[in-house]
Amino acid sequence: MADVSVVSPAWAPAAALLVLGGAWGAAALDGVLSGRSTGLPGRASSRRPVDEVARLMRQRRRTTVRADGLLWRVGGAAMLVAALLMVVVVPLGSWAVADLAVGVVWFNTMDVVVWAAVWLAGWGANSAHSLVGGYRFLAQALAYELPLMFALTAPPVAAGSLRVADIAAAQDGLWFAVWMPVAFGVYCIGVVAFSVWGPFAPAAGADIAGGVLAELSGVDRLLVLVGRYALLVAGAAFAVPMFLGGGSGPLLPAWTWVLVKTALLAAALVAVRRRVPAVRPDRFVEAGWVVLLPLVLLQVLVVAVIAVGRG
Amino acid sequence: MDVRARLTSAAVRAAHVLVVEAPGGWRERFAAERAAAARGWTPAASPADADVLVVCGAPGDDLAALLDRVWDQLPGPRARAQVRSPTGAGQALAEAAALLADERHQRRDARERRQEPAPLHGDMDHGGTDHGGMDHGDMAPAGIPLASGGPDRDGLEMDVLHLSLGPVLPSWPAGLVLDVALQGDVVVSAEARHVGGPTAEGHHGLEPPERAAYRVDGVARLLDLAGWPDAASRARRTRDVLLDGDSATGHRLLVGLRSRVGRSRLLRWQLRGLGPPGRPDVHDRLLRALARAVDDLGRDAGDPGDGTSEDGGAGPDGLASATVGLELAAVRLVVAAADLDRLPTRREVVGG
Repeated sequence: MADVSVVSPAWAPAAALLVLGGAWGAAALDGVLSGRSTGLPGRASSRRPVDEVARLMRQRRRTTVRADGLLWRVGGAAMLVAALLMVVVVPLGSWAVADLAVGVVWFNTMDVVVWAAVWLAGWGANSAHSLVGGYRFLAQALAYELPLMFALTAPPVAAGSLRVADIAAAQDGLWFAVWMPVAFGVYCIGVVAFSVWGPFAPAAGADIAGGVLAELSGVDRLLVLVGRYALLVAGAAFAVPMFLGGGSGPLLPAWTWVLVKTALLAAALVAVRRRVPAVRPDRFVEAGWVVLLPLVLLQVLVVAVIAVGRG
Repeated sequence: MDVRARLTSAAVRAAHVLVVEAPGGWRERFAAERAAAARGWTPAASPADADVLVVCGAPGDDLAALLDRVWDQLPGPRARAQVRSPTGAGQALAEAAALLADERHQRRDARERRQEPAPLHGDMDHGGTDHGGMDHGDMAPAGIPLASGGPDRDGLEMDVLHLSLGPVLPSWPAGLVLDVALQGDVVVSAEARHVGGPTAEGHHGLEPPERAAYRVDGVARLLDLAGWPDAASRARRTRDVLLDGDSATGHRLLVGLRSRVGRSRLLRWQLRGLGPPGRPDVHDRLLRALARAVDDLGRDAGDPGDGTSEDGGAGPDGLASATVGLELAAVRLVVAAADLDRLPTRREVVGG
């Protein structure tokens, strides 16, 4: 059993601040990268998140005819809430907000909550484009969720535990990302997909006037956008104990390594958006079931055989 | 008060613009998009996302009426700008920025505008259907008739929703309205019409660099719809360089863009096979437009032909029938790809 001390719940806001800080950093990085292609000077594009927040705080909220207000707002807020709940099981070095015996299952549960969140955000506005966006996300979720679930089972099989700290400790010397690369790759695809980001953003696509975002303005929009970045960061943070050796690393203390690894992976996921076009859900479903699912099942089989062989 | 002023100026710096092109106003749109990018403004995907509504060219009465409804949907603080000539774009946007920062004006606007969403026309997509005043009772909450049923492509009963695509939709041909019946997000029937008046293009043929710029703009819109904003921004920058008459730099950027787009396997996988069978698909048309743009710069010869469409002319009716059976994402791509084959000369006038 790896040692993790559960900190007092009073530290939870600090963890939330870390996630929000990460979301801020991700947004700033995306601003800089997109500024490079639009030709905006570096300084102007790095303060983009500040300006954008000021804009959305100043903008008025709006509603549509016969909107389902309650579910609409619940959906908008739930993405951020799910992201914050994801990170409670991620140990920061030797501290964790919660140390669940089934930490991996907890993370998986939260990423399924995102299904409801995005769909409700699309449904609530009572607008055709918005609803199409919501359903697009469900189609996409059908494609990524099963491969993601199996990718999440590979590290626990190797470590013989569903407790996140045990999985991090089991990677002594060799990261799981190295000897189960397929699971790691599929996990990253899953993170980008449940964050409605980059190639997996057709639910908020320009072709349907912003989809689930189409009717949102002001703080409501801000909440969804922050939630999206927070999901990306939370996904990157969870990958650290699962695949990237947790807090292990030379010189620096464990908690620093967790932050550094999270930042690097999150930056890579943010940068993906610039490199590739969107993957339409109808084509992604095919790839998800015909390619990703068999591949990741094979990966789990290999991991299981090795785990049994090691006794 | 200083904090407030700084927040306001930050908000104005990050404004999102909804650019609407009236038929024939493409030069104005190019200029407006460019002026907006120079300010660091972002294109808006929908009225809810927009702080500034920019109308390019001269909208006819019907389009102007629709634009008033779109204006009602901007959340505010909001500003409206009219770009009547390419050279006036910078000035029009500067005035819009000043208006957006003017707290007193914005407060008055907020007090005087309609406080509830307009019934029936609550979002832009219902713009085409008008059932106002009819009493539908419970079958039409807030004046919107409930979806009726119809057999779907598998012979099962499924709800049919009537939706008008355009004319205010990003990366959508100016003035085009596609009235579609949807089952889920699959189009089961479609009819095309035009609003905003005829396109008054007095002369035939564009100079080669401008023609290349026009094609590259079409490519940028298609790339936006394909969900690749990064490549789309590069295409727009290439377009602006070409419009400046810097053919050497333009040519270099264009060749770079062409190889980047051509290399993307993911893009090919997404666009392959889209479009009417037996005709070039969306991916072919995209690469062909880029190749033609390169050709435009390579030779100084004038007009490549005198047709409005270099592809043998699928008119609006052909376009509408080409979208039946596709889902919305594919419809958008097919419409944008068909637009790639059109040059803004002798654009035919349909409906009115």
